[in-house]
Amino acid sequence: MSTVVPTAGPHLPGDPAVIVARRYEDVVVGHEIARHSLLSRFSHWAVAVSFVVAALTGMPIWSPVFGWMANLFGGLTVCRLVHPWAGFAFVLFSIERFFQWLPDMHMKDPDVDWFRQRATKKGRAGVDDSRVGKYNGGQKLYFWAVSLGAIGLLLTGLVMWFPLRFPPIVRELSFLIHDFTFICFAVSLVIHIYLSTAAEPGTFVSMSRGTVTQAWARLHHPRWYREVLSGERSREVLSGERAGGKLPGERPRET
Amino acid sequence: MTVQSLEIRRSSASVWGSLSGARTVPTVSKYIDTTTCIGCKACEVACQEWNDLRPVATEQVGTYQTLPTLDAQYWNLIRFNERDFEGGLAWLMRKDQCMHCDEPGCLAACPAPGAIVQYSNGIVDVNPDQCIGCRYCETGCPFDVPRFSRTTGKMAKCTLCVDRVSVGLEPACVKACPTGCLHFGTKEDMLVMAHIRVDQLKKDGFAQAALYDPAGVNGTSVVTILAHGDHPEWYGLPANPHVPILVKVWKKFLRPFGGIAIIGAVFGVVAHYMRHGPKSAFGADQDDSNLPLA
Repeated sequence: MSTVVPTAGPHLPGDPAVIVARRYEDVVVGHEIARHSLLSRFSHWAVAVSFVVAALTGMPIWSPVFGWMANLFGGLTVCRLVHPWAGFAFVLFSIERFFQWLPDMHMKDPDVDWFRQRATKKGRAGVDDSRVGKYNGGQKLYFWAVSLGAIGLLLTGLVMWFPLRFPPIVRELSFLIHDFTFICFAVSLVIHIYLSTAAEPGTFVSMSRGTVTQAWARLHHPRWYREVLSGERSREVLSGERAGGKLPGERPRET
Repeated sequence: MTVQSLEIRRSSASVWGSLSGARTVPTVSKYIDTTTCIGCKACEVACQEWNDLRPVATEQVGTYQTLPTLDAQYWNLIRFNERDFEGGLAWLMRKDQCMHCDEPGCLAACPAPGAIVQYSNGIVDVNPDQCIGCRYCETGCPFDVPRFSRTTGKMAKCTLCVDRVSVGLEPACVKACPTGCLHFGTKEDMLVMAHIRVDQLKKDGFAQAALYDPAGVNGTSVVTILAHGDHPEWYGLPANPHVPILVKVWKKFLRPFGGIAIIGAVFGVVAHYMRHGPKSAFGADQDDSNLPLA
């Protein structure tokens, strides 16, 4: 049986059991399901913020069309100083995120099928996503693409940071690869933000408070939904604690 | 140092590409006759003094050359290239400094608006006010000239003494040269002088004597006379310098493509939303607690 926080009806804000449950993932919290643990959300936003800072400081250096972004940081000179360090932070956070999320990100048959259906069927109608687990094929592809891209940005960025240590052809190629990788990143990021906000309501909350509604889970990730409710994905630590009747930090309730 | 702000031919990272000056003036040029250079280094000293550059610790590189290469505080270096010929050793002196290309690679690579400018008279200059010290010009330059200063965080190189030239004086190095190996004037005049000198050298037995004014960068505002014009690499000069192809691809193709792609993506998702709307679980929330697990 899955770990269900014992609340009747909508849980109260500040319910200690709920607060604790939000630190984990793949557990049911009242009418919702905790999708991303606290650590997972920290990881995501560390990567996101460092990338956005690197992008906003890099784009005005890339093209004068985006020169206005430099004003956010106090000019191009500040951008030039901040950009490599923001990029460095982005790579560090990306490494942490990579290993934290890797177990869920292996491409499998249902993921290939997810792509095949989108390539062959028109529109949303008729698409069968019942085998989609916690992440769909597109999300897994995005995971691998940004991980590979982070390596590309790091290697070429180091060449651009310390140019005279490398031969001219390596420097010239680095400019091209760094910019091309960024263009891919930027286009993907626009789509990523769109999908997680306007296109799929309810998704953004999974990265802020960590939870999604059960209806959301059933619509977008049916197999994950079944696994969570059937207990296949429940965390040992929580089920153990549930066996004792308490979640960590839960105080005896007065009735 | 940006002087002559009304006479700018090109400016780095300008969205309009090039700017035209209010006045047109003749292209100027330095004339360097490497065959009459005696390696006295008077030009090096004059450059340091006029531009008020800080002394750099010299380094023994096995020849009389002052430093192994140019420095942010050393813009003018006589290279003592040694070469064995029949009959003995020859010094193939070369005055290494910014070549002030007509098509400057540094300017093409520079991302900071106005940090590298080309004046109407052909002089290519770094404007420290605008320079951000990103070092892209090091990659753009086919002659390996710009240097990053760790003191100022900006690039530095020969200005062709633009401050002297703009008030009608010749560059400090030319003023100091004792052998007449250096001259300064309009490019037209310098080319005439150079051709006369090359002809003279050919008569004197240097059949391969030639003028180095590379076409790959559309000529430079430094015309150099080489006794061994068929081997510029003996002097440490590239045989066919040009703005790196990949730098051109990067700036002229990839950059506009990327801008369009990113802005296109924004329009694309907005259009997708208007056409398809959200994929929503709205409406199913109210009664989901009683649904079967399957």
